[in-house]
Amino acid sequence: MVGETRGYRVFQVVNGVVLTVVVLVTLFPFVNIVARSFSGEQEIRSGQVSIWPKGFNLTTYDKVMSDAMFWTNYRNTVVYTVVATVIALVLTTCYAYVLSKRNLKGRGLLVGIAVFTMFFNGGLIPNYVLVSSLGLRNTLWAIVLPNAISVFNLLVMKAFFESLPTELEEAAAVDGTGTYGTLLRIVLPLSKAVLATMLLFYAVSFWNSWFAGFLYMDRQELFPVTVYLRNLIAGATSGTDNTATSEAALQIAASIQAVTIVLIMTPIMLVYPFIQRYFVSGVMLGAVKG
Amino acid sequence: MFQLTRRHLLTAAGAAAVAGLAGCSDDGGDTSTDDKRAGAMDGFKVGDQFKATEPVSFSIMMLSNQAYPYKADWPFFKELTARTNVTLESTAVPGSDYNQKRSVVVSAGDAPMIIPKTYHPDEEAFIAGGAILPVSDYVDLMPHFTEKVARWNLQPNLDGFKAQDGKYYLLPGLHENVWQDYTLGVRTDVMEKLGLTAPQTWDDLTGVLREMKKAHPDLYPLSDRWSTPPQPGANNLFGLLSTAYGTRAGWAWNPMEWDATAGKFVYSGAMDQYRQMLQYVNTLVKEGLLDPESFTQTDDIARQKFANGKSFMISVNAQTLVNEARKDIAKLPGAKVAKLILPVGPAGATLPGHNRLENGLMISKKALESKNFVAMMQFIDWLWYSDAGLMFSKWGIEGQTYTGKVDDGSFKLDPGIKWGGINPGAPKDLQVDYGFSNGVFAYGGSTNMLNSQFSEEEKAFQAEMNKRQIRPVAPPAPLTIEEREQVTLWDSALKDHVFQNTLKFALGQRPLAEWDAYVKELEGKNSTKYVDIVNKAYERYKKEHG
Repeated sequence: MVGETRGYRVFQVVNGVVLTVVVLVTLFPFVNIVARSFSGEQEIRSGQVSIWPKGFNLTTYDKVMSDAMFWTNYRNTVVYTVVATVIALVLTTCYAYVLSKRNLKGRGLLVGIAVFTMFFNGGLIPNYVLVSSLGLRNTLWAIVLPNAISVFNLLVMKAFFESLPTELEEAAAVDGTGTYGTLLRIVLPLSKAVLATMLLFYAVSFWNSWFAGFLYMDRQELFPVTVYLRNLIAGATSGTDNTATSEAALQIAASIQAVTIVLIMTPIMLVYPFIQRYFVSGVMLGAVKG
Repeated sequence: MFQLTRRHLLTAAGAAAVAGLAGCSDDGGDTSTDDKRAGAMDGFKVGDQFKATEPVSFSIMMLSNQAYPYKADWPFFKELTARTNVTLESTAVPGSDYNQKRSVVVSAGDAPMIIPKTYHPDEEAFIAGGAILPVSDYVDLMPHFTEKVARWNLQPNLDGFKAQDGKYYLLPGLHENVWQDYTLGVRTDVMEKLGLTAPQTWDDLTGVLREMKKAHPDLYPLSDRWSTPPQPGANNLFGLLSTAYGTRAGWAWNPMEWDATAGKFVYSGAMDQYRQMLQYVNTLVKEGLLDPESFTQTDDIARQKFANGKSFMISVNAQTLVNEARKDIAKLPGAKVAKLILPVGPAGATLPGHNRLENGLMISKKALESKNFVAMMQFIDWLWYSDAGLMFSKWGIEGQTYTGKVDDGSFKLDPGIKWGGINPGAPKDLQVDYGFSNGVFAYGGSTNMLNSQFSEEEKAFQAEMNKRQIRPVAPPAPLTIEEREQVTLWDSALKDHVFQNTLKFALGQRPLAEWDAYVKELEGKNSTKYVDIVNKAYERYKKEHG
């Protein structure tokens, strides 16, 4: 290391401490939810649970996991997320690649069209009418298509493609590769970092999204699991129809939110470690061009 | 991703307004339904069982409650079709965001024919859009509804639902009587030990609290719950007290209160009754009878104090009394808790009459185009307003889910089925497994019907409450759209000021000697102009519609 001064070492220590605190603060709610999901009703109600389960209890897991509708909706979420992410990745990549070509005629207009939608949109009811009259309601496409291209992701990707050395593509062209060949065989293999990042962005946002599913689906068996969770949380907090009396019912009322959150959060969290190594470099690569 | 923002809502409102302008043109006065009688019964009258003369189906928005998620194969739907020849096509909507989806589909002109679970005044937002039916034009098709309105003297309440055009757009649930569920729960064992008798008035209650304080000087005998904003805190206590003093506060808050003697509306937060009520609360706080944290603490903290014997009174309703308060004190030896018969205040042994209408149904204007329109109105009339229909949607099928009658008290739920506190531990659940007692269909009804769901203890409490006289309701004073926009702007600033100062006065942070200055501050925030607009609307409506 060059010039590791005393000031720098102090900075490192302070940095480490601050970041550790931030990590703990961020981690706490999550650990708390996990602990609550395994705790007994009395302990939850009286606020004794912090980071470790008290009065270990699995009644609620049993109840949620035996609800067929939960699994139906869970399956929906998986299907919606996978299909939507694949389509979003393909469309965003194509659009971004085109936009990265400086010699493209009408490039400014194409960028303008995309950016325009960042600032203006048709609004809730026109969107609903549009989706409805296209016959997309109660289909997968109502969730997938309207959100297929995120302009933010598009711009990140565009910047990344622009940063690739044009000489590579020229060399490929000299060797006789067409436009698609260049994209598929030269550009994409070099873009794993940004693709992985986009994959994560899209997958997480589709996994967490509930509004499109809520709005465009009229049957319960089509809802994503986030709608299931949302209804559960609202129902448990308003409590007006809370007619729970038996011990099991009280136990379930106390921990059902935590249990469902854990069940829904786990899979998408497990994706992170595998993609994370691409993550930082992916976003940064597009950011600074030299 | 698609997230709901304020901008979306604004856009939605804008679109609704545009739709409203477009919708104005087809506001015909034609209410003839002679060509829409397919499937309808001839001479349908009170006491008749509705059965469509041919199989028909009606679309309906179906709120899916978290506690009993909607199932298409509930016996409720099967039996309904068997009895009425009607199939309901449901659009399932999660209860968490029901209102939002309703706004979108109604504004987009995509609403099902029947739109239940609408609380007045939510329907007002849709009137201008022209997408919902002025149902008051068609109640002659509904014999059970009109009969109950007349018999239970509910026309004045319905008048309060009327829009500027003198029509109402919501078919509400009807209650025979006022149902006062909320009150204070008290540790009866502590009362007994101290030789105290149940307080008749709020002043008696102060006496009871003083005795408790004398015996236990180290605690606050009353520490209350239900302090969720935006109301000032201790919202149930303020609601009960404002009723007793003849004003509006806490959960019972409404900016306008009808002054029957003066024949005009007044601003609740500036009424002298409001001041008297604050005086009362302030005395309790000052003497250490009411925990000052009552206005800010969470329900859990309030319950913990009650559970640990650190307080002897807490707000309850029938359900929280059994499920929470009673369970909470189970480990205190000899501890008992019961509902306190609601003490009487300066307003006398009365209850406000405005709660006798429940949430209800809107009808999509598109339903009017259906040739089955009359059959649909008859169906609605039977299911939601006939005794047989109410009994069916609430308790199910005689001989299968229940036996006996509610009117002679012989009603009994099948022992294998649980509902609420009845038959705990039974294998089946009336709501979850059968689809009865569903909030979409079952609400309102006669006092006997209501009583059928209560324990003996609660019946005794209700019997006392039913002796109270019902106060007349405020006359209608529908505002124009412009007026409503104007008062909405003033309302939130006023409300904030009232709620903040309610808390300050109650806690003694601001002396009640400053009451006049406070009223001046409200006037500075347009309280007088607000009242004037409402009174003008009242006069205008009286002139135009009698």
